[in-house]
Amino acid sequence: MEPVNQEKYKKSLGKLESIFKSISDTVSEVSTWRCPYKNSEDGCTAKFSCRNQDRPGTVGKLYLCLGSDDLDYRSAWEPSN
Amino acid sequence: MPVINEDLEAELGYVTSPAEQQHIRNLWNEADPLMQDISVSLIKGDNNRVDQLTKEALEAGFSANTILDDGLIAGMAIVGVKFRDNLIFVPEVLVAARAMKAGMAHVEPILSESGIEPAGTVIMGTVKGDLHDIGKNLCIMMLSGAGFTVIDLGVDTSPEEFIEAVEENEAGVLGMSALLTTTMPNMGRTIDAFEEAEMREVVKIMVGGAPLSQEFADDMGADGYGKDAMSCVDLAKTFMRPDAELSISPVD
Repeated sequence: MEPVNQEKYKKSLGKLESIFKSISDTVSEVSTWRCPYKNSEDGCTAKFSCRNQDRPGTVGKLYLCLGSDDLDYRSAWEPSN
Repeated sequence: MPVINEDLEAELGYVTSPAEQQHIRNLWNEADPLMQDISVSLIKGDNNRVDQLTKEALEAGFSANTILDDGLIAGMAIVGVKFRDNLIFVPEVLVAARAMKAGMAHVEPILSESGIEPAGTVIMGTVKGDLHDIGKNLCIMMLSGAGFTVIDLGVDTSPEEFIEAVEENEAGVLGMSALLTTTMPNMGRTIDAFEEAEMREVVKIMVGGAPLSQEFADDMGADGYGKDAMSCVDLAKTFMRPDAELSISPVD
């Protein structure tokens, strides 16, 4: 097995850090207007209860999110206990 | 070698900036079809396929550097572009990260054999009573990408579980997440538990989550507060320095 070129590896980490920095910035921006648990098909990936979950309807095995992106989604999250 | 993977060609179609598309296309034009397959499987979040292809690539003689650059990172670059352009969202990014982890599982032993040690060990968990995991999972993705070994304790983690994990893994850094105002105090209780166990000096503790602030972190006695996912990487790196001091301000 060819050993890892350490200099190349450092450059790779730098590239990945740059990609993740951009992702982190996007998370901060998108989270101001869209629940982070809501996937691109409006399925809810949260492992807790939320009033925006459409219990009878599902996206695959996920609940459908009925939340409006115009409203604060955090108020719909229900305490776990 | 041109982009011959049809799925990858379709993914390139999502890159709307012509200059950006050309830049990515140029990178992939030099990549082997197997690397293109790894990239597209990562973009789709198919962790089983990434696992299988990475193993095959290593057996076929591709270097870890090539797999990392031309397969895994190249795929993650497209994930970043699609996320930035609101074509996918956080859950899809995390699924892609899981696929990247599957590939990295084959690359990491080679890194170790080549004398590249992890940047450090970080224990991550959401505090007791809190089932929110998205912030923690984003931090884990970014810490892993920065070369840290990360132990994920999941959600609803008790102070005892945090202490046990730090002890077992000899971790230098602990990260706690809370997304509810009702569970935030459990961060302070966990820090108190470390003090009672006389382990407060062996680990740096960073905290994060939407309702938190630097002031709250200071009041609890945390060593650092991360305002976003990337900040936890900067904090962890700072903590791993031999001269690391307590009470670090958020990184801008």
